Amino acid sequence: MLKSDSPLNKKINDYLDHLFSGVGASQQLFDLKEELATNLKEKTQDIKARGLDDDQAFREAVISMGDLGGLVDDMRRLGQDTARQTVYTSMSARISTAGIVIGVLLILFGLFTSAMLYFMRGSGVEVAGAGIFVVAGGALVTYSVLTRESRNKYAMNKVRAALYAISVGLLLFSLFTGLVTRYATGEMFIAIASVMIFFLAGTGLFLALALTGTDRRK
Amino acid sequence: MGGRITTDLIRGHTDTIILNILRQGDSYGYEIYKTIIALSGQQYELKEATLYSAFRRLEHDDLIASYWGDESQGGRRKYYRITEKGRENYEQNRKDWRFAKDILDKLIEGGLENVEK
Repeated sequence: MLKSDSPLNKKINDYLDHLFSGVGASQQLFDLKEELATNLKEKTQDIKARGLDDDQAFREAVISMGDLGGLVDDMRRLGQDTARQTVYTSMSARISTAGIVIGVLLILFGLFTSAMLYFMRGSGVEVAGAGIFVVAGGALVTYSVLTRESRNKYAMNKVRAALYAISVGLLLFSLFTGLVTRYATGEMFIAIASVMIFFLAGTGLFLALALTGTDRRK
Repeated sequence: MGGRITTDLIRGHTDTIILNILRQGDSYGYEIYKTIIALSGQQYELKEATLYSAFRRLEHDDLIASYWGDESQGGRRKYYRITEKGRENYEQNRKDWRFAKDILDKLIEGGLENVEK
């Protein structure tokens, strides 16, 4: 933008900021503001040469531009997607960050507890039982990572991300159930049977989601 | 000034007016605005608001292209230049205008006494 070294530059920039206030940022808006500022400044200077002072000249320059409402509407349309996205981003980015932190902590907690129980010579069921934290943490991390906007990807919509989280949760849960059943019953075939149900459900859901996704690349 | 040009009448010609200026050399917003006033013999002013909307439309349709000029004391100027497609469009519009002007003249001022039915 203009170097705001003179009061006139500041006045022009303030006017344009006010005119386009509430319009979502876009490259086009940025460019248009600079274009208008440069031209408006030159026009003000021309009017000043007729003997008006800064203020009067600036006011007359603005008035004689005509109604810029159409341009503002144009810019609003362009900025809308960006604006909605920024609101979404700032709020959901924080939720997503919290989700990742908590999820990772849950996974670590599960792993440590499991290891601890193992060395305490706990039963197989107890050692595997602590894995439920890994299941919950895994689902939470999945959801949080997918709803996060990164430099080259848009955030996934929340329902879809939740479904992904459920599918990952089911897959992890199936392994968890398998281990617990294995140690509880001592029978491998029962373990496989209980793995199967959740594993199939999780895989089905995961495949359905993966095959229907929209491109989130920027 | 005896007459006036209604916005309705000028609306369809804003683009052609801008193309006519740009086909004779690159220019930027405020300069184009001043050129139009000068071309009209100080009789007509096309509002800058109208011009900037037209620039956006013309650029979107690839009839003109823009580039930034060097930084001056007032900031960078955004220059416009006409494209090949813009030139073709201008020539067609000029032909259409000559044809329309001729016909409209007859329709608006013509007397019925010499008309063959």
